[in-house]
Amino acid sequence: MAANFWTSSHFEQFLDPEEVDVVHQQDKDKGITLEEFKLVKMHMTNCIQKLAQFVKVRQRVVATAVAYMRRVYTRKSMSEYDPRLVAPTCLYLASKAEESTVQARLLVFYIKKLNSDEKYRYEIKDILEMEMKILEALNYYLVVFHPYRTLVQLLQDAGINDMNMTQLSWGLVNDTYKMDLVLIHPPYLIALACMYIASVYREKDTTTWFEELRVDMNVVKNISMEILDFYENYQTISEERVNAAFRKLSFKP
Amino acid sequence: MGDGNNTSGRGIAANNTSSTNSEKPEWLQQYNLLGKIGEGTYGLVFLARIKSLTNRGKCVAIKKFKQSKDGDGVSPTAIREIMLLREISHENVVKLVNVHINHADMSLYLAFDYAEYDLYEIIRHHRDKVNHAMNQYTVKSLLWQLLNGLNYLHSNWIIHRDLKPSNILVMGDGDEYGVVKIADFGLARIYQAPLKPLSENGVVVTIWYRAPELLLGAKHYTSAVDMWAVGCIFAELLTLKPLFQGAEAKSTPNPFQRDQLDKIFKILGHPTLEKWPTLANLPHWQSDVQHIKAHKYENTGLHSVVHLSPNSPAFDLLSKMLEYDPRKRITAAQALEHEYFRIEPLPGHNALVPNQPGEKIINYPTRPVDQNTDFEGTTSIQQPPQPVPSGNVAGGMGGHVGRNGSVNRPMPHPQVQRMPQGVMAYNYPSQAGVGDMNPGGMPMQRNLAAQPHQPQQLRRKDPGMGMTGYPPQQKSRRM
Repeated sequence: MAANFWTSSHFEQFLDPEEVDVVHQQDKDKGITLEEFKLVKMHMTNCIQKLAQFVKVRQRVVATAVAYMRRVYTRKSMSEYDPRLVAPTCLYLASKAEESTVQARLLVFYIKKLNSDEKYRYEIKDILEMEMKILEALNYYLVVFHPYRTLVQLLQDAGINDMNMTQLSWGLVNDTYKMDLVLIHPPYLIALACMYIASVYREKDTTTWFEELRVDMNVVKNISMEILDFYENYQTISEERVNAAFRKLSFKP
Repeated sequence: MGDGNNTSGRGIAANNTSSTNSEKPEWLQQYNLLGKIGEGTYGLVFLARIKSLTNRGKCVAIKKFKQSKDGDGVSPTAIREIMLLREISHENVVKLVNVHINHADMSLYLAFDYAEYDLYEIIRHHRDKVNHAMNQYTVKSLLWQLLNGLNYLHSNWIIHRDLKPSNILVMGDGDEYGVVKIADFGLARIYQAPLKPLSENGVVVTIWYRAPELLLGAKHYTSAVDMWAVGCIFAELLTLKPLFQGAEAKSTPNPFQRDQLDKIFKILGHPTLEKWPTLANLPHWQSDVQHIKAHKYENTGLHSVVHLSPNSPAFDLLSKMLEYDPRKRITAAQALEHEYFRIEPLPGHNALVPNQPGEKIINYPTRPVDQNTDFEGTTSIQQPPQPVPSGNVAGGMGGHVGRNGSVNRPMPHPQVQRMPQGVMAYNYPSQAGVGDMNPGGMPMQRNLAAQPHQPQQLRRKDPGMGMTGYPPQQKSRRM
């Protein structure tokens, strides 16, 4: 259902991490590793975020766009669906779904402005064609739930109202979109994990509050560990590694 | 949904960019196209029958969304409708059975379970043909099921925003005979956490069914707007006439509709700040308060208009639906619990067949099918339309769609784009073979299984196909 997460298509479509971390055969044939697969998705997440700042859409639109992109790549290969086209198109589609429609020509304008690399230069027509292919790849499931609303409610419930904590956990939630967590875990658990990390980091004692929650703290801690691992391993995405992956992808046998 | 059609016309996009392609896309080959049943600003609605063995004979209404002319891809309306329909599932809400994409001309198709009747046709049939009121059981069952579907939507934070008789369908022959289906989610919204004020994407709801807070310019309205529309529809089921038939002021971009408000005030009396405290915050109440106050309304009394005793449960329910203050207006959940539904006759699943012995079963007219139009919206010249049994077919278009009455919708697109004449791309008569069709106008027949093959008839001249017995709709319908 559109407003109840537990009966939503989002929940029904949850995947196990092993299902998400699958490099499609076509990409594998070109020598793409799982690391590179993740790296490209992460890089494209950053691109969507940057583009979104120019066309001025809210964070929820960005989050939905990234979720779409990640779902697409659980089903389609990067060889067939060029990430440099899929990413902006996901933002385009998400802007419609989240009622903040952005014109395709505006997107194309900023893509060109942001990227000197010719390989990013797609035209309006390409975006419109890809929009249909993405709708199909998503199997027309477009509702995505995000941790933001829950996070605000949880912070309130925990009696946390200092800006430091709020901003840190909000920022952490943003960063979770650089990973595939949105395809695997319910938004409230992602929100809790981010709060958990933030409170440890800011040395805020939330133990009692967490204990009173009826959630499996092991799951929350596991998600937190994943997030921390991510920070450790991907602190900086080297441009070179991304480019190397794209070179492999564009290889025509 | 669409799972099976991984090829879905992509082959066509690859080898043929022109829509004059005479080959049907793969997805379309699973249907026999029977004709056009509706038209809106976004595109057309077709009736088709599924060929596959498992669903043999099952009909679907296929709503076609054209690529918008302004070069902005799939219309946001279509996106939102798909997004909602893909999540919802309820007995009293129309079911989306498939989505298809035609990559060649970038059009999008939604296939719904087909419902043969709608409240617009049912009400009109009673008014113009039967000449007596609908029986109480039918009224109550229709209303109960409508509320049941609406309660589901509202409890999931969805406002329909465009409830009117033509959007409320009733199933024909089959397991679900006489079951109400709420249709047309083109304007529906999830209102749990909107990124924009609800008023920002256009004035909604056909003027006659539009709630007073909308008419007075409310920015943040609620599911109560749907309940007002249900109240209007309830009254219309009782009297067979629209309750508040205001004349629409089309020129003004703002939602203020003086005549519509006048019509409401005449029957319900003036809203007052005592009864509706937040009235003072509504933009048009402030700006037009002088006009409104200058006018004297002789409160006719709702009960005399709808011919109900002021003490009857039916009247009590109706007046609670037509409560001015949206915060006091009865909710769908409360309405379902109302005494009206606990007294005889009790509402039932099959609204069309009265469960009292001796009551006459009325053969309602089904929604009309224009067999003269192909999937591109061009007029077919290949296959003459078949005569339709008179009395069983009425005029009027659509039902899943805004019919001719799309004037109140936000119009993101220009009128349906016409393809050049002679473009027969997916024209069913020329492709499907005569043997595949049901020449008797299959969806209009109760016993559709065994239709004899009728000889071809001369093509009709009149463009309003199948409008036997009724004047053309374009004039009589203004919503």
